[in-house]
Amino acid sequence: MVIFSLFGIAVQALMANKLRSGLTLLGVIIGVTSVMTIISALEGMMGVLEEEFDRMGPSTFVVTVYGGVITSEQQWRERQKRKPLDIEAIELLEDGCDLCDQVCPRVYNSATVKYRGNSLRDIWIVGTTRNFVDIVDMEVAYGRFHSREDDLYRRNVIFIGDEVRETLFEGVDPIGKSIHVGSKKYTVIGVAKAQGSIFGESQDDFAVIPFSSHVKLFGDPGRRFNMNVKARSVAQLDETMDQVRMILRSFRHVPYDKPDDFSLLTADAILDQLNTFFKIFRFALIGVSSISLVVGGIVVMNIMMVSVSERTREIGIRKSIGAKQKHILLQFMFEALLTTFSGGLVGIVLGFIIAKILVAMIDANISPSAVAIIAGLIISTGTGLIFGIYPAMKAARLDPIKALSQE
Amino acid sequence: MIETRDLWKTYTMGHEKVHALRGASLEIEKGEYVAIMGPSGSGKSTLMNLIGCLDTPSQGEYYLNGRQVSRMNDDELANIRNREIGFVFQTFNLLPRATALHNVELPLIYNGTSSAERATMAEKALDLVDLTDRMLHKPSELSGGQRQRVAIARALVNNPSLVLADEPTGNLDSKTSLEIMRLLDDLHGQGNTIIIVTHERDIGKHAHRVLSILDGEIASDESIPESQRNGAH
Repeated sequence: MVIFSLFGIAVQALMANKLRSGLTLLGVIIGVTSVMTIISALEGMMGVLEEEFDRMGPSTFVVTVYGGVITSEQQWRERQKRKPLDIEAIELLEDGCDLCDQVCPRVYNSATVKYRGNSLRDIWIVGTTRNFVDIVDMEVAYGRFHSREDDLYRRNVIFIGDEVRETLFEGVDPIGKSIHVGSKKYTVIGVAKAQGSIFGESQDDFAVIPFSSHVKLFGDPGRRFNMNVKARSVAQLDETMDQVRMILRSFRHVPYDKPDDFSLLTADAILDQLNTFFKIFRFALIGVSSISLVVGGIVVMNIMMVSVSERTREIGIRKSIGAKQKHILLQFMFEALLTTFSGGLVGIVLGFIIAKILVAMIDANISPSAVAIIAGLIISTGTGLIFGIYPAMKAARLDPIKALSQE
Repeated sequence: MIETRDLWKTYTMGHEKVHALRGASLEIEKGEYVAIMGPSGSGKSTLMNLIGCLDTPSQGEYYLNGRQVSRMNDDELANIRNREIGFVFQTFNLLPRATALHNVELPLIYNGTSSAERATMAEKALDLVDLTDRMLHKPSELSGGQRQRVAIARALVNNPSLVLADEPTGNLDSKTSLEIMRLLDDLHGQGNTIIIVTHERDIGKHAHRVLSILDGEIASDESIPESQRNGAH
């Protein structure tokens, strides 16, 4: 096959100029590496977010007034005008929503916790009910979570995250010990299983107290109050959301012609919104990193132009003994493509390694993805095609007589 | 085998038109040994480029083996050059980085001959010019005469109907020139059609027929009687 011979000629030409080919390759490698680093790192970050939202479960949604992703200033202003969710809504849904399996109120406050001489600042104090463990997929390492009675009688009991245990109770069994949250004393009843960290943020620096105790300690939660609602099944999710929406609209006196003044968010919806937001970010980053790829392409083109003018006589010889335009074109295209393809392979591997190191800094992990590899190969080969075609065509169109007379 | 009718080649240089050929008509039969002679600027190189299908005439017709080549496109011309014509150049025109064997194989690459067959054919052609012992040498490792013999082997490898030699001895000393001319004489003896373009009388006298060109026109067409020829035949 002629094509194999032409490929062989291209390989020989590249091998004959090792330093030059190597430098050209380096340009391509730098370009592909930078693009691949960004693609892989972004993919890794999205993966972390998805995993996080997966923990919420497919049949659960969040009722919130101020939460969710905000993408415009107008949206933000509208949210600020909303009135907070009243905690009466909990009872209302528990009684009135027959499709709801569980209703779990949540409120957060940050506070300092102390045990004897040790103290921890800025710990998330979560006020919630006993079904919190089921809904957010949290595991009890030892001890227990609150009971219905703890909430009912506003008991001062506390369930702590692993980081709190480690800092305050090193080498001591925390169960039954009293710790201070602000000025109040709480008895430790259980410890959560360690969850590690996401984007460098520890997921274990929290403590959970009964919802009623939280209200007693911090007062009316106001804007910080959300609810997680679990439908009876995934199939009934939409219906359940409709029912909750109806109940809340009448409770909050929303006129029939006005949109909801609260939001119901499923994990999917939040992810979708995040994705839209990240898309812009992603395009911008990939765009910036592509500049180096374009520079790599220009290096390829430049070297190819030099190569064509240096080898004008060779092209003349080949044409005089019967090489057609397409033969010369292919020979030079193979040279460009071989350079960018092999540069692409190295760039994909390097980019992946760098991205892995980067996402490891935020305690995440990535594995090679087919999408990133295919994208990398298409990008690098495409660069070869775009920047190689002009010099190759220039070579192919040379007039054999003029080419032969060149010294 | 070769028939040209009223071939013109006109180049435009700035606003001026330069007629390099002014109506050259000639016929060359299969098996002939022809020299095209003339001083530099006479148009003999232009005529050779046209006969060698490296270029097309501005006007007139050219038939090679009964086929009109004067109207062919680039790819068709490349095909003709590959199969019908073997070139021998003054400056040898070998690829400097390739071995003698690879240089001889070159025309076969472009017509899709398999690599095994290529090697066999190239070795055979190198044997014809008596260079089998040097076939893995690069041009820089060969003498001028050896290089030209490699070029002749390359011209012959495809078994063309015509060998076209453009000043084949122009870069060689007189002893080597004689050696190359003897080789061409031998090739003619084996039945090849050979056209030599030269400005040297002595070289031209190896041929059996001399076409003289002057100012783009064929000035004379004479047969060289055997007694006046140089060389073995």
